[in-house]
Amino acid sequence: MSTIRARSAASYWLAVPAALWMLGVVVVPIVLLAWVSLWGGRTFSPASPLTFDNYTKFFANKTYLQLALSTVGHTAVLMAVTGVLGYGIAYFLTMKVRSPRWRLVLFLAFVVPFWTSTLIRGIAWVPFLGVNGVINQALIFTGATRSPIEAFLYSRFGISMAQASLYTMMAAGPVVYMLNAIQPALREAAMTLKAPPLVVFWRIVFPLTLPGVVIGQVLVFLNVMADFATVATVGGNKHAMLPNLVLLFYEGSQHRAASVVAVLLMACMLIGVIAALRVVDIRRLGADR
Amino acid sequence: MDALAQAVREAPATARPQLDLELRGIRKRYGGFTAVDGVSLKVPKGRFVCLLGPSGCGKTTTLRCVAGLEDPDDGDILIGGKEATRDPPWERDIAMMFQDFALFPHMTVAKQVGFGLEMLKKPKAAIAERVKQVLASFEIAQLADRKPANLSGGQRQRVALARAMITEPRILLLDEPIGALDYSLRETVMLELKLLQQRTGISFIWVTHDQNEAFSLGDLVVVMNHARIEQQGSPEEILQRPATAFVASFVQGNNVFHGRVVRAGDGLLLVETACGSFLVPGRGPTIGSEVSFSVRAELITDLLADPHLNRLAARCTAVEYFGSLRRHVFERPDGEVMKVDQFGAYAARIVAGQRVELGWRPQDTVLHTGSAE
Amino acid sequence: MKLGWKLRSDIVGWALGTLTVVFLAYQWLPILTLGLLSFAGPTGGTTFPMNGVSLHWYAELWKATVMNDFKPPLVRSSLLAAACALTTIVLSVMSAQAMRGRFRGNNWFFYLMLLGIMAPGILVGFGFAVLMRLLGIELAWNTTTFLVQVSWTLPFGFLTMLAVFNRFDSRVEEAALTLGASRITAFRRITLPLILPGVIGAGLFGFSLSYDEYPRSMFTTGPDQTLPLAIMAQLDRQLTPEIYAIGTTTTAFSLIAVLMCSSALWAMRRSTSARRS
Repeated sequence: MSTIRARSAASYWLAVPAALWMLGVVVVPIVLLAWVSLWGGRTFSPASPLTFDNYTKFFANKTYLQLALSTVGHTAVLMAVTGVLGYGIAYFLTMKVRSPRWRLVLFLAFVVPFWTSTLIRGIAWVPFLGVNGVINQALIFTGATRSPIEAFLYSRFGISMAQASLYTMMAAGPVVYMLNAIQPALREAAMTLKAPPLVVFWRIVFPLTLPGVVIGQVLVFLNVMADFATVATVGGNKHAMLPNLVLLFYEGSQHRAASVVAVLLMACMLIGVIAALRVVDIRRLGADR
Repeated sequence: MDALAQAVREAPATARPQLDLELRGIRKRYGGFTAVDGVSLKVPKGRFVCLLGPSGCGKTTTLRCVAGLEDPDDGDILIGGKEATRDPPWERDIAMMFQDFALFPHMTVAKQVGFGLEMLKKPKAAIAERVKQVLASFEIAQLADRKPANLSGGQRQRVALARAMITEPRILLLDEPIGALDYSLRETVMLELKLLQQRTGISFIWVTHDQNEAFSLGDLVVVMNHARIEQQGSPEEILQRPATAFVASFVQGNNVFHGRVVRAGDGLLLVETACGSFLVPGRGPTIGSEVSFSVRAELITDLLADPHLNRLAARCTAVEYFGSLRRHVFERPDGEVMKVDQFGAYAARIVAGQRVELGWRPQDTVLHTGSAE
Repeated sequence: MKLGWKLRSDIVGWALGTLTVVFLAYQWLPILTLGLLSFAGPTGGTTFPMNGVSLHWYAELWKATVMNDFKPPLVRSSLLAAACALTTIVLSVMSAQAMRGRFRGNNWFFYLMLLGIMAPGILVGFGFAVLMRLLGIELAWNTTTFLVQVSWTLPFGFLTMLAVFNRFDSRVEEAALTLGASRITAFRRITLPLILPGVIGAGLFGFSLSYDEYPRSMFTTGPDQTLPLAIMAQLDRQLTPEIYAIGTTTTAFSLIAVLMCSSALWAMRRSTSARRS
């Protein structure tokens, strides 16, 4: 018993406002986009005939296809980088830092930027990456290079650098949570069963944190796939990912083309999330490998 | 003479009576707190040893030092006669059963039990065969494909035991292994474990705060308090001759007195306490020294006769029943509680509120001689 | 070999520690550089050297023209964030409490909320803008943007409250009910004070996520921009240390909000643990 009766009408009504809000603002617009993406004809109105022309046009364009593929590839690279970085940091913070005070300090230093604007943090990379940027100045100062490297700002590499700093926290957070949930006795039990540390890690610790890894990867996937702001600020107008294409079409008043890209983007994300849920059933933590 | 000692020292381990475990002056500090302070212990082959003591006495830390999960600051650990103080846990000839069993939540029972053999790089088929055998012998064959989340407390205990025993270690370390079980299960499990230990000849080091467990299971009971060993010996020795006031008061059924020796001679001491003067057999202490002694509750009587030279008048405050015993609780003149046990089968002679003259024989009194190694 | 494994474990520790520290530097240096460069002299550019130290760019910010005046967007964003925080608190407590009632279809409800986190902001914003256009509704920062932003902040608050209720010991509610409290009284007098730290956390999510929200607002604000939009517009026009000044200001603003909330949480935890002992 609690302050809410199981399956009571009250519990139902309490959920209604939030449900309506989410339906009206998230579900309806997305369904609408799927519909709009099928509109044919010349005028932008619900009366338009339904057709796959918009999709055919999109897929006929090699540049767009390449863009879609490179978005996926870029996201995969970032997932790998943030995954490895994030796991290492999470492992260090939870397992290697002995002093609780230091652990708190380092953990805060790690997560606090999450609470500040991603946009500003993206912009903050601009003075770093430019031809006269901090990195180039440092490289020239140390003599690593004589002429500044132009490859940082307005490049894929620069975008990746900025995004790695933005999203590693998302890969690490769920892992920290899962690592904290592992009883120390489990690792000790494995050790007394003749498992050396590396084997303890692969056979006990890693499988038990796997749901955290997957959730973190999903978060990074979703965020990088949808991140057009960092691409725009750090990449300038020279680089685009799928979401930038949405923006581009929108600004050109090509709503139907924008909808096509939006639908494709949403499809990518659903596939990604569903695939992740297949690999690890998040609701049933700690399943055997 | 020196040459002989040298020869004995250098003789191969097998030539001497072999010890499964030897601790020499183990010390472990955490910051300013001393968890284990100079613990020494010899465990001959195939013994059932119980480390008994209140929580925080250092018994679990001692066990974890043996397992290699803690590094002692000082002292030596010899397992099977071999120096192992700095060996990592996975290179020690031990296995351990943890308090909450520490089953791997992501592995099935079969995988779990086979884990130790897998680590020893045994061939797959051999592991499967052995796991099957062990599961059958622990009567958990039907659970082979289950995960720990779907097991009852008793089943988990068996899985944990099977997992630890399958590698046939020299020593099995058990940290409060039945503390997580229902009371109704404990008796049976204790009996099974005792039989298992006797059958396999593996030394068990069993940590507990429950003296019933310690006295019914242990060949050797080691009583610890404040990071030190207070007394070690057979259950009988500890019950009949507690070496310190702590052991006497920790073990049920002792009445402990503190006092000063006022007269000594003929193997008898006269000790003056806050409850009067009593005769205590003993030779060591000199006149004026502070001593403590105890007398077991069942050796005190209200049916006084000539041999009952130690006498004490007290008021009975309560009468309680413990199994076949009837315990009379008295208030001593010094305010402490005094317990007098009688067989419940005999009719009660004392009722609560009654003032009674009690007595016991001097030879039933045990002088505490300090920690005896 | 005997000490080898300890040494190896230490080496792993040091390696991971170095990685962590290097990453923290990597993460913080741009933010700190941004802050530093915002104090550049009047002739300072967007990178080093700073050409002196001054408050010039903050002064520029303050006496800005209509074109790049950040004050109205700042006010708008703050008001919007406060409204989102309040709405998030109310709706997330309601819906998490509803989940405890395990109403029919609560699974679907849960996934509906998750969808709010999952769906890219740019799609939600774009789709909602198209919807408003078809319905003929005017876009404005305090109507449409508010609606869209709550769909972003609410799921975070909801998950926070779910986590809080997961750890909540409902026996204290049962105790209140057996003492004759009605369900509503028990919720108000017992449940609410106990979940208050979580409520503050949900509010913090609401405020901070709304304050920094960009992709959803981009499509739905209409003529009066919110702060992130104004910053982005300024960035498109020209890159001057003024951007750094506004960036530093809003980052400081976010950090202060986090600091205040966490110290409130800390004080609350301390007072409850003090009461307990």
